[in-house]
Amino acid sequence: MTIKFSPLVSMLVLLLGGCAAVAPDVVGSGTQLEIRQIQTREYDTLDKKLTMRSVIATLQDLGFLIDNADLDLGTITATRLHQYKMRMTVTVRKKGQTRIAVRVNARIGETSVTNPLTYQDFFVVLDKAMFLTLHKVD
Amino acid sequence: MFFANSRVLLLAWLALAALILAGCAAKGIPADALRLQESSLELRSIQTRKFTAASEMEILSASIAVLQDMEYGIDEIEKPLGVLTASKLTDADSSKQKTGLFFLDILCAIGGGDDCDSMTRADDSQKIMLTMVVMPSLANENEFVTRVTLQRVVFDKESRINLREKIVDPEIYQQIFDNLSKSIFLEANQ
Repeated sequence: MTIKFSPLVSMLVLLLGGCAAVAPDVVGSGTQLEIRQIQTREYDTLDKKLTMRSVIATLQDLGFLIDNADLDLGTITATRLHQYKMRMTVTVRKKGQTRIAVRVNARIGETSVTNPLTYQDFFVVLDKAMFLTLHKVD
Repeated sequence: MFFANSRVLLLAWLALAALILAGCAAKGIPADALRLQESSLELRSIQTRKFTAASEMEILSASIAVLQDMEYGIDEIEKPLGVLTASKLTDADSSKQKTGLFFLDILCAIGGGDDCDSMTRADDSQKIMLTMVVMPSLANENEFVTRVTLQRVVFDKESRINLREKIVDPEIYQQIFDNLSKSIFLEANQ
């Protein structure tokens, strides 16, 4: 009886072992180019400051607190603690001569957000904020 | 008979393995994580006020002063973007909650439990975090749009997190803006 079930037991131990010993996720997962595409949107403006203003307004609308912001480097890091902990970093950079690229990273707890739809949701809100700031509405 | 029995056992093992595996699978990302909530427009108006000030420096100085008045420590400032981030650790002890947990412990002890430590679960301290964004109005000169957002994390006696939430009480925001209004007046008349 004991011998009969030992393969099952060892399988279970193996499964448990595989679950516990997770390799350190230092460099992340997924392909670099694909991730960039999902996380980036470009806008037809050259005004970095107004773009960052829109990003901050968007983050505040979505319930985030700003941890850190830097106009020169175009980075904003924000955290939302409601229910679960979500952390985002947004970068705003000039792209070529006429456009600005906004890139967004998000993590919830220990998990990276990889769903393109979640990033799309963010850009829907940002699109509206961009429209309002570029038309000088507070 | 033995065969049937081992089949049942095998199924039980598999069910257990599936349960364990499900437990360690990555938790899903909520689908509405970055979707705008319906209440966000109302919350924005609660969190936003317009003020008149002579210059960006004047209103930023008044904003920093009001954060100091309210006993916050400044964590981060980015002047060109008008972003101020501040926080403070305060008491979250509630005698009402502690009384409830005390009786829960007594009931637990009477019931013969040997792990009656609900009291350590009582709220002990809370970290209040605040972001204030002060931007010149795009529509009117000398006007500034200020938006404040607040969150808090409540810890129990053993520094475990009991609660994390955004603060939505309009009265709290009103009080902050009243204080800011006074601070701007003092800044202009010092």
